[in-house]
Amino acid sequence: MRLNPLTSLALAGATAVITTAAASWPLSLAVAAAALALAVRGGIARRLLPAAAAVLVPLCLSLLIMHGLFFPEGWTVLVQWGPARITVEGLAFALERAAQIAAAVLALLVFSFSVHVPDLVAALSARGVQGRFAFVLASTLTLLPAVTSRVHRIRQAQESRGLVIRPGLLHRATAFRLQAVPLVLSLIEEAGTRAAALEARGFSNTGPRTSYRAVPDSRLQRTLRAVLVLAATAAVAARLWLGRAGT
Amino acid sequence: MSSPSLTLPSPGPAAARKRRLLEILGAVAIAGTYVYLVLNQPTDITGGPGSASALIALSGFLVGAVLLIVAVLPTLPASTVVLIPVALVLNIVLGQFVGSTLVPFYLDAIGTVLIAVLAGPAAGAATGALSSIVWSFFNPTVLPFAAGAALIGCLAGLAARHGMFRRFYLAPVAGFVTGIIGGVVSAPVAAFVFGGTSGVATGAIVSAFRSMGDTLLAAITKQALISDPMDKAIVFTVVAVLVYALPRRTRLQFPFIRRHRVLAGQASNEARTQAAAATTGSPAQPTGQGS
Amino acid sequence: MAEAHNSEGIQDHGDAQDPAQPILSAGIRTFTFPDDGVPVLRGIDLAFLPGTLTVVLGPSGSGKSTLGRLLAGWLPPGGGGTLHGFLELAGTRLHFGGADHPPGPRINPSAWGRQVGFVPQDPASVLSTVKATVAEELAFGLENAAVGRAAMTAAVEQTAALVGLTELLEHNPVQLSGGQLRRLAIGCAVIAGPRILIMDEPFASLDSAGSARLAGLVRKLVKRGTAVVIFSQVVDAPLLEAGTWLVLAEGSIRAGGTPAELLARPGMLPAGIRYPSGPSGPGQDEAPPTAPLKPHVQPRRQATPAAPALELRELSFSYGAGDRTPRRRIRRRGAAHEPQGTPPPEVLKGISLAVHAGEIVAVTGPNGAGKSTLLRHLNGLLRPTSGQILVGGVEIAGTPAGVVAQRVGLLFQQPRDQLFERTALREVHFGLDQLYSSTEAGERASTALETVGLAGSAHGHPVELPASSQRLLALATVLARNPSVLALDEPTVALDGNGLARLDAAVGAAAEEGAAVVLVTHDLTYARRMAHRVVTLEGGQLLP
Repeated sequence: MRLNPLTSLALAGATAVITTAAASWPLSLAVAAAALALAVRGGIARRLLPAAAAVLVPLCLSLLIMHGLFFPEGWTVLVQWGPARITVEGLAFALERAAQIAAAVLALLVFSFSVHVPDLVAALSARGVQGRFAFVLASTLTLLPAVTSRVHRIRQAQESRGLVIRPGLLHRATAFRLQAVPLVLSLIEEAGTRAAALEARGFSNTGPRTSYRAVPDSRLQRTLRAVLVLAATAAVAARLWLGRAGT
Repeated sequence: MSSPSLTLPSPGPAAARKRRLLEILGAVAIAGTYVYLVLNQPTDITGGPGSASALIALSGFLVGAVLLIVAVLPTLPASTVVLIPVALVLNIVLGQFVGSTLVPFYLDAIGTVLIAVLAGPAAGAATGALSSIVWSFFNPTVLPFAAGAALIGCLAGLAARHGMFRRFYLAPVAGFVTGIIGGVVSAPVAAFVFGGTSGVATGAIVSAFRSMGDTLLAAITKQALISDPMDKAIVFTVVAVLVYALPRRTRLQFPFIRRHRVLAGQASNEARTQAAAATTGSPAQPTGQGS
Repeated sequence: MAEAHNSEGIQDHGDAQDPAQPILSAGIRTFTFPDDGVPVLRGIDLAFLPGTLTVVLGPSGSGKSTLGRLLAGWLPPGGGGTLHGFLELAGTRLHFGGADHPPGPRINPSAWGRQVGFVPQDPASVLSTVKATVAEELAFGLENAAVGRAAMTAAVEQTAALVGLTELLEHNPVQLSGGQLRRLAIGCAVIAGPRILIMDEPFASLDSAGSARLAGLVRKLVKRGTAVVIFSQVVDAPLLEAGTWLVLAEGSIRAGGTPAELLARPGMLPAGIRYPSGPSGPGQDEAPPTAPLKPHVQPRRQATPAAPALELRELSFSYGAGDRTPRRRIRRRGAAHEPQGTPPPEVLKGISLAVHAGEIVAVTGPNGAGKSTLLRHLNGLLRPTSGQILVGGVEIAGTPAGVVAQRVGLLFQQPRDQLFERTALREVHFGLDQLYSSTEAGERASTALETVGLAGSAHGHPVELPASSQRLLALATVLARNPSVLALDEPTVALDGNGLARLDAAVGAAAEEGAAVVLVTHDLTYARRMAHRVVTLEGGQLLP
C-alpha cells in the first residue's frame, strides 16, 4: 500500500512529538534505531545518513562539551580540572538530550527523504494557506538546484570578464557583491514575471480547486492520521500536566 | 466572487480584521511562551527531565509561528508569495557563500531581510517562519526557531518602514538591534529544546558562561547577545548593498517601497504623490465601465 | 467563477463570436512607469480581430514588451505604472487615469488571463516551478479553475498535441530544451482557450526546425479563430504571413498595413528592425552604417614569431572528467534530475584549430553540438580532458580563467550574468584601473562605450537598458580590455538591427586592430557574411 504523504507526515510528526514528550532515553534510542532501520529498508539510508550526521554530530559534540565539562548544577564530580568538572549529572543530561533530539530528527528526516514531493504538494489542497505553503515548499525545492547552477554560471561569466577572486576580506566582499547582485536581480525580476504568469493562470483564485495528480488515500489512512494527531496532542497534554504536578 | 468580472473588488474590512486577529494571536503566543519560560526556567533545568519546558517552548513558539503564517500568507499578493521561495533559496545560497568565505557567522537570513525590506514586516515575518519550516525539511532542528526567524523578518520590515535603510550607516545599526531582540527571544528554544546550541564554537562560548555558574538560559542568552547582533548587522548591510544595486524600476515595483519611501533618493515629489495615490487609494473607483 | 470557461469546450470557442468585433482593443494616451518622468508608451490605438495574425515590429527598447504585458494584464495599471486611456476586452471597456479617479479599476488578472494568453520572451519564467511533469504544468491553470479531472485530462492531451509535446508529457519541465519550453509556455497560455494570444519575440533563438514548428502552431491557432499577436524585432519568415504589421518605435505606433505595403514603401520600417538574412532588408535604401565586414586585410602574420593568436591542439573533452562543475553541497533529491550514473560521452573529439591575429572564424553547427562547450575552453573555464590550448603561443593550462581573460575576452549569450554595476560607465570601467593608469582607464571605458553606441546611456542602469544594449554593454566591457582573442557565443541573439550593425562594426574593428575572433552561431548566413573562415562542429569534430 502506498502511503498518502500526509499519513507519513503525521506518522513522523507524531513520533517526534511523542518521543519528546516521553523524555525517556530507552524510548528515544528505540525510536532512533527504528528510524534507521526504516531508512535502510527504504533504501534511503545513503542519502539520509550524511544529512543526519551533518545536523547531529556538531549538536551532540556541543552538548557533550557544554554539559560534560560544565554543569554547575551537577554534584557527582568524576574529574575536576580547573573550572571544568565532569559530572555524572552533566553527562546524563547531555546524553539524554542527544538521544531525544536524535530520535526526533531521524524520524522527521525519514519522512522528508522518503516523501515524493509532487505527491505532498498535491495532497496539500491547493487552496488558501495550505496551497500557498505547498507552493513555497515545492518552489524552493525546484529553485535550489537551479540557483546553485546559476551561481556557477555567473561566476564563469565574471571570470571571463577578467575578475579573479583574490584572497583577503575586502576582495572577497567585492567578489560577493559582484556575484550576488546579478543573482538577486535576475531572481527578483524572474519572480515578477512568474507572479504575473501565475496570476493569469488563476493562482489567486479563491474558489474551489481540483488536482490533476491523483494521490492515494483511504478511509483507513484518514482515520490513522486523526488518531496520530490526537495521540500527539494527548502526549503533550499529559506531559505538561504531569510536569506541572511534578514540580 | 463568482462573476467572471474583469476587475477586482476592493478588499473588504472583514478580511483585514480576521488577519489582524490571527497576527495578534500569533504574537501573543510567542510573547507568552517567552515570558512563561523565562519566569519558570530555574526549577526546570536541574530537576527532572526538563521536557515540559521543551514542549512548551516548542509548541508555544511553533503555534505562534504557524498562526502568523496562517494570518499573513493568504493575504499576500502573488508577487510577494512568489518571492518567498526566492528568499528561502537566497537564505541558503548566499548564507553559504558568505559563511564559507567571509566570516564565521550564520548569515542565514539574507533572503528574509531582503523580502522584509521589499515587501514589508508582514511578508518578512511570514518569510522568516516559512524559511525555518521549509529548511527543517533537511534539518529538523531549525524548526523550533521559526518564531525567532519570524521576529527577525518582522523587525527588519519595521526598520525599513521607518527609514532605517534610507541612510546606509543606519542599516547595520538596525541589524544590531534586531539581532539583540532576536537572540534573546530565540535563546529559550536553544536552552530548553536542545539543551544547548547546535554548533561547537557557540557551544564553547556557552560553556564559558556556564563555568562561571550561569544558568543554561542565561548562558545561552549571553552567547546569543555576543554573536546575533553582529550577525544581523552584517546581514542588514548585505541587504542594503543588494537593494541599492537594484535598478530603480525594479525597486519601485514594490508598493511597500513606494508607499513608505524605504530607500533614499528615489522619488521626485510629484511622482511620489502620484505613486502613493496609485497604491493607497484602495477603494478603487472605476472611472467608467462601458457596456 | 468559470462559467464561460467550463461549459464551453476547453479549447474551442470559435464560432459564436462576431468576426468583425475586436476581441481586444486599446487606446493608450500615455503609460508611465512609477517615478519615471517620460511615458514609455503614448498615442497607441489598437484593435485585434478574431482569426487574424498581427505583428508588432519594433527595435529593442521601443516598448514592445511593455505594450505586450499591458495588453495581457501582466502589467496592471495602478501598481505597475500609470495608464491614461482604456483597455477593452470582449466588449468590456475599462477606463484608466481619469483626472478625478487616478488609479482606475483594478484588473482581475485571472479573469483577464482566461481570455488573453501571453507568452513572454523568457518562457522559463512562466513555469509554476511546483509541477513535476509537463502534463501537470499544463493543467495548473485548469486546477485553479476547478475543472473536473476528466475534462482536465482531455484538455491536457489536446493541448499537448496542439503544441507538439505529447511525447514529453511525463517529463520534468526543467529538462526541456529552449524550443520545447517555448511550446510549453504557449500550451499553458492556450489551454484555457483564450480568444487572443500575445507572444513576445517567440522566434528568438529558435533554430529553423523550431521556428517552422512554431509557425505551424500559429497558423492552427489563427485558423480556429484565435487572434494572434506577435511582438518582434526581427522579421522572421513566418511573420510575412500576417494580415497586419504595425511598427512600434519610441513607444508609439509609427505605421501600419499589410506586410506587402510596408515592405514596398522604403523607409517605413526603422533601421532597428532586423532581417534574418542580412543587415539591409527589402525596402531599405539606407542600410545602417555598417563597418566593413570581413576586414579586407588578410589576417596578419605577426612580425614577431608567427604563432597563431589562438591554437587548439587535439582538444578532447567529456563532462564529468575534469570539468569544474560545482560540487553540489545542497543537492536536492526529487527536485533535481541531474544526469548521473552513465559514463559521459565525449563532447569534443580531437579538435585542432588555429586562428591568426586579425582573422575571424565562425563555428557553426546544430543546437547541442558542443559549440558553447568549445568556446568555454578558450579561456580556461573548462579544461580539456586531453590536448592543449595556446594563446599567443603560450599554453593556458594551469592559468586561472580570470587571468587568461586578460587576453581572451569571452562574451556569453546571457549578458545579465556579467553585469553588476549601477551605471553602464562604471560597468565598463570596472577593473580597468588595475590594468591601466586611471586617466587611460577612463578613456578606454568611454571609447568602448562609444564603439558599441552606448555613449548616451553611460549613466543608465545596465539592467534597465534594452536587451540589445545589454549585450553591447557586455561586449564593451570585454573590448575595453583590448583582448588579443575575442570569443563570442551566439552574438546575434537578442540584438536588433542597430545592435547588430554596432556589433559587426566593433568586431570588424577589433579584428583590424589585430584581435583573433572566434564566434559561435547557429545562423549560417551570418557566419558566412561575417567570417573569413567557417567551420562546422558536428559529432564532436570540426569539419571545414
